[in-house]
Amino acid sequence: MSGVPWRRLDSRVVWVDAARSLLSLAPVGLAVTVFGVEPGSATLWPVLTVAVVGVTGAARDLLRWSKTRYRVTEERVEMRTGLLFRTHRSVRRERIRSVEATALLRHRLAGLRVVTVGAGLSGGGQAVVRLDAVTVETAGRLRRELLRGVPDEASATVGAVAADAGPTRHDGGQVAAGDSASVLARIRWSWVVHNVVNWWAFVMAAGLLWGAYWTAQSFGLDAAGTVAGLVDWRSLGAGRTVVLGVAAAGALGVLGMAVAFVAEYWDFRLLRVRTPAGTVLRTTHGLFKTREVDRDDDRLRGVEIAEPVLWRWMGTADTNVITTGLKVWSMTPATTILPRGPVRVARAVAAAVLEADPSPFAAPLRRHPRAALRRRVGWAVLTVVSATGVLAVSGDALGSSRLWLGGVALAPPALLAAGVAYRSLGHAVSGGHLVVRSGLVSRATAALRGGAVVGWRVRQSVWQRRLGLATLAAATAAGHGRYAAIDVAADDVTGLAERVLPGLLAPFVVDSPRPGPSAVGVAATAPGRETGGGLSSPSAGFDPQSRVPGRERVEKGATPGAAR
Amino acid sequence: MSESTVQLRPPRHRVARRAIGYWTVRSLLGAVPPLAGLAVAYAVFESARTWSGPLLVAVAVLAAGHAAVVPSWRYAVHRWESTAEAVYATSGWFVREWQVAPMSRIQTVDRVRGPVQQLFGLATVTVTTASAHGAMRLVGLDADVAARTAGQLTELVRRTPGDAT
Repeated sequence: MSGVPWRRLDSRVVWVDAARSLLSLAPVGLAVTVFGVEPGSATLWPVLTVAVVGVTGAARDLLRWSKTRYRVTEERVEMRTGLLFRTHRSVRRERIRSVEATALLRHRLAGLRVVTVGAGLSGGGQAVVRLDAVTVETAGRLRRELLRGVPDEASATVGAVAADAGPTRHDGGQVAAGDSASVLARIRWSWVVHNVVNWWAFVMAAGLLWGAYWTAQSFGLDAAGTVAGLVDWRSLGAGRTVVLGVAAAGALGVLGMAVAFVAEYWDFRLLRVRTPAGTVLRTTHGLFKTREVDRDDDRLRGVEIAEPVLWRWMGTADTNVITTGLKVWSMTPATTILPRGPVRVARAVAAAVLEADPSPFAAPLRRHPRAALRRRVGWAVLTVVSATGVLAVSGDALGSSRLWLGGVALAPPALLAAGVAYRSLGHAVSGGHLVVRSGLVSRATAALRGGAVVGWRVRQSVWQRRLGLATLAAATAAGHGRYAAIDVAADDVTGLAERVLPGLLAPFVVDSPRPGPSAVGVAATAPGRETGGGLSSPSAGFDPQSRVPGRERVEKGATPGAAR
Repeated sequence: MSESTVQLRPPRHRVARRAIGYWTVRSLLGAVPPLAGLAVAYAVFESARTWSGPLLVAVAVLAAGHAAVVPSWRYAVHRWESTAEAVYATSGWFVREWQVAPMSRIQTVDRVRGPVQQLFGLATVTVTTASAHGAMRLVGLDADVAARTAGQLTELVRRTPGDAT
C-alpha cells in the first residue's frame, strides 16, 4: 500500500514551458526588429505585458512541476504539491465521480493530457486532483483504472493497445479492447445558430476589437485612423453611425462566437462506453483544446433540459445530467452532455441517456391549477404597484410629474411574464421518473429517477393555502439537490409523491390507518405527555414489511390521486 | 378559501413543553444586542434623541411581542415523529412545511445541546441526508427523548446498507 512509489508529472512539461516563454517573448522581438518600434516606447506595453505574463507563468509552472508528485494506491489517489504551502490531497477511489482529460494546443503538440479527477463530498463540495500534465498513454490508463477499478497491471496493457490501435480519427475518444461504445449524439453544424445569437456576441466583439487595436498600436499601425477613413462618417449622421457600428460589432461578435463554437465542439460525440466493470457516459470534443469527460453511470440520477425564454421560438435547449458529486455551477460544468442545440435533439438524447421506457421527456405534462396563474398575476400586480409607488414618490422629489407612468408601462410585460411563468409549470410521472418543469427566464424540465429521491419536503405559504396550492420538492443527492413541482393542487401532493416513490409518504397521509408500532422515540420511562406516549415495543425494530398492509389500504382509499 | 388541502396528518409528537421557555429566553437574548446598542446611542448622542428614542421603544415593543407570541406559536406547529421507515416533521405557520426523510437515506444523526437548551433540559436532533438541502432539525426535544431517539436512529441507519445517495 504505502509501498506504491510516488510519480512525477511528465518531463515534457519542462519543454512545453520553455517553448511558452520563447513564444511569449516573440511579439516583443518582432515589434522591435521587424516593425522598428522604439524599445522604450509606451506603445510597446501590451506586448511587454504578454511577455512578462508568459515568462512568469512558464516559470511558475516549472516550479509546480518540480514540486508535484502523485500516486494511485489501491484505495486512494494522492497528490503532493506546492513550494511554500505543501498540500497533500488524497481522494478515496470509490468516491471518484468523473475523470476528465483536457489538452490545450501546447499539450496536444507535446502528446500530453491534463487529467482532472472529480470526487463528490457530502454537502455538495468537490475534491479535485489535477494532474497537469501526463502523457496521453498515462491519461488513458488512469481513466480506465480510476473509473472502473481495473487493477493497475491489467489496464496498463489495455491502455497501450488502445493508444496504438484506437479506432478513431484523432487520439480522443478511443475505445479500449474489450469495451464497446454506442454513439448517442454527434455534432450537427446547424447547431451553430443556437450558439451565436447571444448577448455575449457583443462582449466577444468588444474583446476582439480591443485586442486588435492594442496589437496594431504596438506594431505602430493606426487602427482607429484606418477605420475612420473607411466611410465618410460625417455624411452618415449620428443615428446611422450608431446603427452601423452596432451591426458591425454584432456581425464580428457572431463570427467570433461561431469560430469559438466550431473550435470547441469539433468532432463532438456523446458515447456510452460499456466495459466489464460498468458503463460510463463520455463526451469528447475540441479542435485545438480537446476535452474528454467520463461520467460514471452508477451516479446518474436524471437529466435536466433548460430552454432560455428569449430563444424558445428557436427551440434552443441546454442539456445537463443530474449526477451525484459533479459541480453544477461552473463555466464548463462536467454535467453538460450536449452543446446548446435544438430541444428535439436534447429530448431524444436525454431519452437515450436515461434508458427509461417510456421516455420521461415524451410524457405529456400535467398542467397546474389556474390558481397558480392567479398567484403569478398577483406577483406581477404587486411589482407594478410598488414600482409605480416608488417612481411616483421619487418623481415628486425630482419635480417630474409623469415619472409614475413608467411604472404603469411595466404592467403589460409583467402580466406577460406571469402568463409565461404559469405556462411553463408542469409535472408528470413517467418511466419511473419524476418530471417537473418550471421557470420564467429559463424553463427547466428535470427528470429525476424515483429511486434517487432521498426525502420529501412540502411547503405551503399562507397565500398558497388560500389558493389551494402547495409545492412538493424532492430532495436528492444529485444536481441542485432539490427538484420541485411548484404550485400543484394541494390535495394532489401526496398522490404525486406516492406515484414517484410508493410507500414513503403513505403512512403520514390523513386518515391512513396507523402503521406498525413506532420503533423510535418512544419510551415507557419517558415523562410521557410531550412524546405522545402510548407507543410501545421498540423491539419492532427494522422490519420493512411491517407497514405493508397499512400502505395498501391507503392506496385504495385515502388518496384518490394515487390511482390516476 | 379553497377546498384543496394537503392530505398529510400532523406528526404524532409535540416537542417538549419546556421548549416554550427555551424559545422565550432565546428570543429575549436575541433582542439584547440591538436594544443595548440603541440605549447606548440614546445616552451618548443627545442630538439624535428625537429619532433614537422612538426607535428604542419600537424595538422594545417588537421584541416583547415576539417573545410573548412566537414561542407558543412555534410549540403549536412544531411536531415530529419517527417510524421504522422514516422521520417526519412539520413546522412553520406563514410557510407551513412538512418534511419526510426515509431511514434508508439518512447519513448522519447529530444531537446538539446548547447552553440555553441544557438549562431547560432540551436537545436538538439534526437528521442529515445526502441532499444539500435535506437536513431536518428537530428542535426542543426533551433531552432524554432526544438521546434515545438519536441512538435508535443511528442504530437503524447503521443497519441499512448502501451509501444513501
